[in-house]
Amino acid sequence: MVFITAEEILETVSMIRSENLDVRAITMGISLDDCAEREVRRTAERIHAKVVRRAGRLVDVAHELQEKYGIPIVNRRVSLTPIAEVVGSDDPADLVEVAHALDAAAEEVGIDFIGGFSALVQKGFTRSDAALIEAIPEAIGGTGRVCSSVNVASTRAGINMDAVVRMADVVLALAKRTAAHDSIGCAKLVVFCNVPEDNPFMAGALHGSGEPEVSINVAISGPGVVRTMVANHPDASLIELADLIKRTTFKITRVGELVAREASQMLDAQMGIIDLSLAPTPAVGDSIAEILQAMGLEQPGAPGTTAALAMLNDAVKKGGTMATSSTGGLSGAFIPVSEDAAMARAAASGALTIEKLEAMTAVCSLGLDMIVVPGDISRNALAGVIADVMAIGMINSKTTGARLIPAYGKQVGEWVKLGGLFGEAPVMPVSAAGNDAFVGRGGRIPAPLQSLTN
Amino acid sequence: MRTTVIVTALGPDSHGLLAQVATTIAEQDANIDDVSQTVANGMFTMIMFVSFDQSETTMAQLKEALEATGERIGLQIHVQHENIFRFMHRV
Repeated sequence: MVFITAEEILETVSMIRSENLDVRAITMGISLDDCAEREVRRTAERIHAKVVRRAGRLVDVAHELQEKYGIPIVNRRVSLTPIAEVVGSDDPADLVEVAHALDAAAEEVGIDFIGGFSALVQKGFTRSDAALIEAIPEAIGGTGRVCSSVNVASTRAGINMDAVVRMADVVLALAKRTAAHDSIGCAKLVVFCNVPEDNPFMAGALHGSGEPEVSINVAISGPGVVRTMVANHPDASLIELADLIKRTTFKITRVGELVAREASQMLDAQMGIIDLSLAPTPAVGDSIAEILQAMGLEQPGAPGTTAALAMLNDAVKKGGTMATSSTGGLSGAFIPVSEDAAMARAAASGALTIEKLEAMTAVCSLGLDMIVVPGDISRNALAGVIADVMAIGMINSKTTGARLIPAYGKQVGEWVKLGGLFGEAPVMPVSAAGNDAFVGRGGRIPAPLQSLTN
Repeated sequence: MRTTVIVTALGPDSHGLLAQVATTIAEQDANIDDVSQTVANGMFTMIMFVSFDQSETTMAQLKEALEATGERIGLQIHVQHENIFRFMHRV
């Protein structure tokens, strides 16, 4: 029997009750390999039936574990085989029909989001990839719980600039389609480089081709716990601080491991991965920006921010990998702007710019995430921003994503309220310098060298 | 099957808090295996290891009863399965 000290018990209770420690998501990955039929309507029916059958108990199991361990499990989600690989159709209307079937299945099983309305096009488009991409504005704008992602780049393939440009058009169309709700549709769409096959976080979750029939992936969280620990040690040197962060993320990750093991057993699924991410919410204290402030920066964006974030991100991973042998997904500190109230305030004050965020994403998860840009941004400017994020992922052999929200009808400085965990953020300026000739060249940026890495 | 949970109670100190929590646990046919309690600066802190047979009570019933008691006597009472504590601090 393992001895537990009173100090450890009270620490655990305090982390949960006072410092917002939670399991951010339990995501069930479901393979749709056996759902393809000649008729799209029949395929949609089979997907719907399989999601309901396999994920029917997901919400109840999450609730049971929440009660048993007294730890909040914030989201329950399902990720699917990329739909473009399942639905062999070149008619976007067919893909929209499938999106509605996914939405209906998600509603029936009571989950927050269902991901996998996706395509991988880093080297080129199949006919169904092209149809899916064309369908995104209607499919995502016309449903509530369906999330979409498109992988346009990888370290092995380079950047498909034609896909980048096409996705810029799609993001703008989706922003317009959901203009009445501050273009919120764009919060459910990610453009990826090196998309992970086992990511439990939305909007980018999909169930990759190397995954088992059904898996359980768990996203842990706990920026508040790390922030409190950092704030309680104002005189610690950086090497001492790194050690404290490692110890803290070890504990956070152990909770994820426990929940993943038990949930997978209860749901008759293979245990997948623990995503070692610090994911903020708009709640006070549940913020990556506030960790950076506790480390000694006045605001995120101050000189030194990239260095502080690099240390934080690395320490999180080191602590987490000691706690589980099943790491995966995105694993790192997230820096979304709208979902992190202190990050949004820094953006509003001008301390934090898109260019600084771009530098920050070179040393952490996840890219330019939940960033609101002017609604009248040009297609080519948006494509250029996406390409820049993809380039960082491609060169550094890491995942990067772009989840950009051109707020239809809004200008720099105006605030956009996305609601709930999506939070709110000011519209941030994008450089007005032209790039038409570069973006207009089209084609593909070749895969990079993996040696001579300076 | 026997289950062990850890009950933590926190709040302002007053007379008879431990007795009332213990009474509720007894009423639920559960057993107190270990208890530690301190009062510091007027704040009452108690940790109990409580076990029960699932044929006699359930965790949900115990939790509901203790939360009701906590509300009545001004304590925040949490009931959590022991595994979360064992798992969190050790490999």
